[in-house]
Amino acid sequence: MNYITPDNLKDALNFLACHGEDTEIVAGGTDVMIDLRAGKLEQKKNLLDIRNLAELKGIDFKDEKLFIGAGVTLTEINRSDTIKKYAPALVKCSTTFAGRQIRNRATIGGNVAHSSPCGDTIPPLVIHEAVALIANKTGEKLIPVEAIASGPYQSSLSKDSIIVKFILKPCRANFTDFQKIGRRKELAVSRMSMAIMADKDEQGRISFIRVSLGACTPIPQRMDEVEQFLMGKIPTQDLIWDAGKILAEKMAGVTGRRASSVYKEPAVQGLFMRILYPVVL
Amino acid sequence: MEDKTVCIEFTINREKKALQIPSRMSALTVIRDILGLTGTKEGCGVGECGACTIEVDGQAINSCLMFGAQLDGCNVLTVEGLEKEGQLHRIQKAFLDNHAVQCGFCTPGILMSTHALFEENANPDDEEITKAIAGNICRCTGYQQIFASIKDACSTKTGNG
Repeated sequence: MNYITPDNLKDALNFLACHGEDTEIVAGGTDVMIDLRAGKLEQKKNLLDIRNLAELKGIDFKDEKLFIGAGVTLTEINRSDTIKKYAPALVKCSTTFAGRQIRNRATIGGNVAHSSPCGDTIPPLVIHEAVALIANKTGEKLIPVEAIASGPYQSSLSKDSIIVKFILKPCRANFTDFQKIGRRKELAVSRMSMAIMADKDEQGRISFIRVSLGACTPIPQRMDEVEQFLMGKIPTQDLIWDAGKILAEKMAGVTGRRASSVYKEPAVQGLFMRILYPVVL
Repeated sequence: MEDKTVCIEFTINREKKALQIPSRMSALTVIRDILGLTGTKEGCGVGECGACTIEVDGQAINSCLMFGAQLDGCNVLTVEGLEKEGQLHRIQKAFLDNHAVQCGFCTPGILMSTHALFEENANPDDEEITKAIAGNICRCTGYQQIFASIKDACSTKTGNG
């Protein structure tokens, strides 16, 4: 294997244009190392280290949009006042993402590109209707984050491209949260994760809601049915419980009923209830 | 597949190194097998146990999940670098004083996570300490003594640290 460390995005994209199929991109490297060890990269000829690409760094807010470079680490997200202000659920997710040592290396772009069903950054990005700016040698395009994973560990991105940055709609709701269920508090692979953003009008009716589920479906996704069910209604305990039931059914519809459903369906409902309880009147 | 080599230059434990290493080699293997610094341990090899924790540019990282090539240009500290001029670091001394070592396999990693914490925050509260070492697993379940040692090291300014 070759190990290549280009100095800028242009050089990296030129390299990928010729060798994309044989190349594995290394951002933090925390997932690539695991795949390498598991023998999944035997067909690859090159490792392309993108750490020097200045285009992938930085966090910025302008023109009512939040920009997060794909090369930003989870630790940088955790410490960013800008992200805390405009996408607090993403900061919350960064506090429980893997362990400290991994957060110091792992990048948000790597987490999304790896397309793990339990990629913790994806549900918080999805509630912000985040789009990714994708570049290849011939140009740039915008793809919704939700459309990047085409299946578990399968990315729809072409092999000649790199995620440059994410563009998020800033949080305009009074309530937002991310929670996950894992086997322990730290270093836990999510069994289930959920990001929610919600707001109420003057009459106490839900006027805005975004719900995204991760880890318990093959790809993290927005849950439109649940959002539609709740819109315009006054959030009572019973209503949230019923919405959680719809969410559980939707999950079962996506994954099919499995041995784990006996646990997962009530757990999804319970997690939904736990997150949204603060908005109950 | 045959590995090409890559040249790296970095500082480890205050010493400059220039090495030629196989492209796929982990930072952990570079440190243990090429440099012979075997204080850093390999536990799980997949980033779950923290035994291989080292400090890179002041941050604790899992060396099993880092390519050796990524060390290029970095300032690295391993457990061997904590001691200065024959003097143990105050964290090491606190671990000895508080009997925080049983089998000892997790100890180098926990020392490094603690050192990285102190680099950022010389006076962490209980929650910050717990969070800083949450990525390190001790299977002898000596967490109480480890925690007590770190508290102790916060309050002592003796030793070289």
